[in-house]
Formats: sequence, structure tokens, C-alpha cells
Amino acid sequence: MRTNRTFVLGAALLALVVSACSPGEDESPGASAGGGSQAADLPTLTVGSAGFWESAVVAEIYAQALEGAGFTVERQLEQGARDVTHPALVDGQIDLMPEYIGGYLAVTYGGEPTPDIEESLAALREELEADGLVAFEPTPGTDADGFAVRQETADELDLTTMSDLAEVADQLTWGVAQECAENPNCGPGLESVYGIDFASLDVETLGACSTAIAEALNASNIDVAQVCTTQPEIAGFNLVLLEDDQGLAPAQNIVPVVRQEIVDEAGDLLESTLNDVSALLTTEELTNLGAAIILNGESYQDAASQWLADNGL
Amino acid sequence: MIEFLGEVAAWFADPATWSGRDGIPVRLWEHLWISGVSLTAAIGVGLPLGLAIGHTGKGARAVVAIANIGRAVPSLGLMGLAFIVLLPLGLGVGPLPTIIALTALGIPPIVVNAYVGLREVDRDLVEAARGMGMRAGEILRRVEIPIALPVILAGVRTSAVQIVATATLAAAIGGGTLGQLIYIGFNVGDQVRIFGAALVVAALSIATEIGFATLQRAATSPGLRDRAYVPTEPAQVGRGGADSSP
Amino acid sequence: MTIGPVDVDWIVDNLDRIGGLVIEHLYLTGIAMGIGLVISAGLALLVRNRPRWYGPIIGFTGTLYAIPSLALFALLTPLTGIGTVLTAEIALVSYTLLILTRNMVEGLRAVPSEAIEAAQGMGYTATQRLLRVELPLALPIILAGVRIAAVTTIGLVTVTALIGLGGLGYLIVTIGTQRGSFGLTATLTGVVLAVGLAVIADLALQALQRALTPWSRGRMAAA
Repeated sequence: MRTNRTFVLGAALLALVVSACSPGEDESPGASAGGGSQAADLPTLTVGSAGFWESAVVAEIYAQALEGAGFTVERQLEQGARDVTHPALVDGQIDLMPEYIGGYLAVTYGGEPTPDIEESLAALREELEADGLVAFEPTPGTDADGFAVRQETADELDLTTMSDLAEVADQLTWGVAQECAENPNCGPGLESVYGIDFASLDVETLGACSTAIAEALNASNIDVAQVCTTQPEIAGFNLVLLEDDQGLAPAQNIVPVVRQEIVDEAGDLLESTLNDVSALLTTEELTNLGAAIILNGESYQDAASQWLADNGL
Repeated sequence: MIEFLGEVAAWFADPATWSGRDGIPVRLWEHLWISGVSLTAAIGVGLPLGLAIGHTGKGARAVVAIANIGRAVPSLGLMGLAFIVLLPLGLGVGPLPTIIALTALGIPPIVVNAYVGLREVDRDLVEAARGMGMRAGEILRRVEIPIALPVILAGVRTSAVQIVATATLAAAIGGGTLGQLIYIGFNVGDQVRIFGAALVVAALSIATEIGFATLQRAATSPGLRDRAYVPTEPAQVGRGGADSSP
Repeated sequence: MTIGPVDVDWIVDNLDRIGGLVIEHLYLTGIAMGIGLVISAGLALLVRNRPRWYGPIIGFTGTLYAIPSLALFALLTPLTGIGTVLTAEIALVSYTLLILTRNMVEGLRAVPSEAIEAAQGMGYTATQRLLRVELPLALPIILAGVRIAAVTTIGLVTVTALIGLGGLGYLIVTIGTQRGSFGLTATLTGVVLAVGLAVIADLALQALQRALTPWSRGRMAAA
């Protein structure tokens, strides 16, 4: 019957239109409203993170700690890279984000961080002020770019530092990120700091700081891997992280970056809560969190709440 | 806009763009040989399979299933899976996962089109040939395939375009190809390079489409050239390239 | 708990996230299909009135179709921004145009002339003829195209993860492959969900077609 068909057609079109008009662009992979006690005078915060596990779990830790202190927290985790998260922070779509001193300063602000924490942090804070952002105290833990080799390789070629590695660089196959040739902490840095001729190396491209690159190293597809110093796979696969004796990597401690407006509204409680948490995030703690999430497959929420419980927060 | 295009032109003129392991020549060659190997493998597996099913007429359901699965499985997913599975085996680095994924991707259009092409050969002709004493192999070779050739070649063309296009994604699993240039561009936010590399990729894809279309037309005997396709069955249309000639 | 290589606990723990990604995926697909249908309908009507435009339109949409998705995103980026929904959607819509337009045109052309004459004989206006006679008869072919376009789009949305958007591609590549062999669960989940969505879309559209064109149930069994 004609009416039946018309009805079905209309319903289908309606469904299509409705699906096209669904939630706005800000709908993100991890958005969910936070729980926690109601505190009418404390502002609601949105915590964001970059698109990798460490950023996400530290953000989740901050979020849960703040909820414990009485804030209402929403999350927008895993938003991608700085080209997304930084504007989101400046525009106010997110209020708080964990960031790395060196990376943030260099990549977003074009600065030149050094291995000196104080110096780099001061430079970063200056840049942040112009954008209405504040960085609190840094964590003792850092997560910098580093290079690792298999235990056998280290034994065979007597490698403990990057300088040692530089001497035998051309004998090995290197696993690096796609954009290594343009990352000051990678290709150009290796050349200027350690005198390694990057262009002539035997290179395979993989995601840096990933389990994949660690596995490739373990399987002897590559001999050197560009890793992040808190990667749980370093211990997990019994790899050797080479010491950055010439200071290629800048200070990469984590700082909570917050919008000035929220700081003004929230008062000291925000700062003290975050600083208390940061003070306990050592490199070892970060690595353990990584092991829980990647090797044990725990979720960010579980790993974060477990960590907070273990540390009495 | 004009300014931007000027920057892109400058990028193309820059010798650095054409040198080194992430230069256009190296990655272009990588793109071509990986695609070539995958296409060859896809034909090697898909064609005999499609011809066998088409000649006997049995296994039609399998063909439809293959076609639908081939379209529903995202190519990025295939690459990711191949990479992950091969990685602990020590085979995940380099072109192998890409080649495996691309071959798998390229098989459905070839199988489906070989099958459809053979099925469309007039049964009377086949009967006549059989009546003349030709054996199955001869019938296939001298009657069915020549008539089905345009359709079979359309399948190869679809497969080729799909493979060349999807090879671009290999960069996501460290497989290189021209996609590497685009991928790096996105990672470092270099819009000029993103655009320039994309132009090269687009040019290659279009050239592949046109090249195979020409091949298809040239290899089709003149009497069969004007057949147009109307895809009523989803099984007939693959992801890449149009196989109806307007 | 693991079933074979799949870590079911991980899936359960991350159900929120996965669900969010599925919704995002559907949202991106829905917009592309919606806009694609509208534009294709316009193009099909244009071709109906000016048949000479069919060739160039097919040529243009076909050329777009041949360009790999990552490259098309890249070509649009200087205009519409890196990794924006707009960039992704313009590309995704472009990919639907070839199939949808072609099937709409061919579907309308396949309407038997007797039906059109009968409609003219009954005094229908051109619009009435289109809506009450031609469109229903063209529906099987049109919907076949919609099915293909939907399944294709669902697959293509996975690639948007490479330019920073979400969807199931995020699960497959960003989470999955970065975790190496530990990412098998994530990647497999992403692939299975993507295939699942495509299958559901396909079946739903088939059901829609059967509901809208009851007379064709016996004849066009494969469409």
C-alpha cells in the first residue's frame, strides 16, 4: 500500500537526518561526566590528554585526585597531538592537561629547552602566560626520547652510553619514528650532539615509543630503537636504555597545565592537590603504570585509581 | 591560495624533495614495486579461483560472500592485523605485512569479475563448443575467456587501482610508500608537504586507473567494446574505479 | 580472561571508550551518507534534464574516487584544516558521489517506458511521475548503490584516524598497532566492529528495500 511505503520511506529519511544531526564535534572518545561529591563553590573542570597512554593515565590520575578533593571533573582523554590539545586548552574546551616541559616548549612554542629543568620550566611558563595558562610543579619523573638496544648487542659491543653507540652507529639497523629526520630530539640531535650521520644510517620506520618498536627490536628486525624512557617494554624485554651522556634529551618532566581562569576560581586547593600528586610521579612510577596498562591491559581508570590508592591519595 | 601553491611549487623544485630515503623517487619506487607484487599475487590467487568457479557455475554463494567481505573489511584493519600478527614473528618490519594485506584486498574484485564474466558467456556458445568436441580447458581458453575478457580485465583494473590506492596507508604500519611523505607531513604539520605529496599520490592513482582502462580497452576485441555495466548486484562493483563506461 | 589471543577483560574494561568510538564512527558515516545522498540526487536530476552532463559528472566523480583517501584528506587540508571534521567529511562525501549518482541515474533510466507512458496517460505532472512512478521503480538499483556506498564509507571512516579523528580507526591503528602484539585485542575489536557495522547497514538497507518495494521480492533476489 502506498501509505505504508511512504511511511517507511519517511521514517528512513528521518533516521538518516537524525543520525546526521547527532552530538556536536566535541564528542570525543573518552568523554564522560565525573562523579565525586558536590561542591557548589568549586568549578567544574574538564581534563584533557594527548593521544597516548602516559598522557591519558596521568590525566586520569589528576582527574580522580581532584574528584577526591571535591571538584566535579569531566574528561576528554586521548584527543590527539598538540595541534589539537593546545588550541583546546587555550580556547577553554579543556581546562587542565598534563604536558611535558621540553616537548611543549619546543614543539608548540618553538623554544629551545635544555636538560636543565629550572631553565626550561621558566621559559615554558613565560610562553604559557601569554596564552593565559599556568604550569604547576613538575613531576620528578621524566619521559624523554631515548635509544635502546638488546642486552646481547650491549654486551657484544660494550655499549652503555649514547657516545658508545655513536661509534658503532653505522653497523646497526635503527628503528625510528617516521618524522625522526625532522625531530630535534632525534635525527638532527643525533648529528649535532653525538656526531652520528643520520642520513647514512640503515633505518626502518616504526612508531617511536611504541610496544611495536620494542618488539621489533626484540625480534632483531632492528638493533637500535627510538623509545620513550618510561616504556615498560624496556624492562619487559630486557632491553638496555643507553645513557644520554651528552644531554641530547631536554627536561621532559610532566607539569599540569591549567587555564588561569580556573586557577583563579579554584584557589589553592587545585594547586595543592595537583602538586601532591605530581610529587609522587617518579620515572619508576610512570613506568609501572605503563606496565599495568600495556602489558597487563588495565584501563586508565583502574590503573589510576589503583595508583592513587597505593599512594594514599 | 596562490601563495600556497607557490610554496608547493617551490617544494617540488627543491632538490631535497627528490633525494634521500624519504624523497619522492625512493618512495615512489617502493610504492610501485609493492603494488606490483601484490597485484601479481592477487591475480595468481584470484584468477584461477574465479575462472574455476565461473566455469563450473558452482560456488556462487562463495563468490558473493567473498565480494561482500572484501568490501566490508576496512583495508587499514587488514594492514593493522597483518602487522600485529607478524611482528612477534620477526616479520612485521618492512613490506611483508603490507604486501599480504594488499594481496588480500586485491583478490575479491578479480574473483568476482572472473566469475561474473564467465557466467555471462552465452551458454549456447559453450554448448556448441562442447558439441564440437572441445574439452573444458579448451572451451575456457578459446571461448569463455576471450568473451569474458573485458569483464575480467575490469576486475584486474579495479584490483590494481584499489591496491595502488591502499598502498598509501602502509605508512601507518611503517611500510613506507608515497604515503610516508603524507604521513610525516601530518605528523610535523607541514601543509606544503602534505599537499605536494598528495598530488603525487593522486597523480599515480589516476594514472593507474587510466593505464589499466586503456589496457582493458586495447585487449578487448572490437565487437565486445561497447558493453556498459549497470551494477544491480553489489557483488559486481569493487571499491576502486568505475567499471561502467558511459 | 582471554579467549585465544583476545583479551576479553580489556574489552570489558574499556567498553566506554569503545562505545564512544563506535558512535563517533557512525556519526561521521551518517553525515557523509546524508550529504552524499542529497548531492547525488541533485546530480541525478541534473543528468535527467541534461543527459550530456552524465559523462563529465561520472568522469569527475570517478576521478575523485580513484584518489586514495589519505591523499584526498591531504589535498583538502590547506583549505579546510588539518584533521578537521570538515576535511574528512568533504572527502567522505566525494567518495559516495560516484556510486550514488551512477545508480540513481541508471535506476531512473531503467524504468520501463511503458510505466512512464502510462503515467503520462493518467495525467500525472512531471513531479508526480517522478515521485510516484519512476522513483519507486528505480528504488532497487538506487538502494543497491546506497548499500555499496554505506559499506564503503564505513570502511573509509577508519582512515580518518590517521589525521587525528576518532572512530574505529583509532582503535585499530592508534591503540592497536602502537601496542604491537599486545594490541591484537584492540585491533581485532576495531576490525570486527567495523565489519559488524557494515553488515548491519547492509542488512538494514536490504530490509528497507524489501519494505519499500514489495513487488520486487521475488524477482530481484540478489539486489
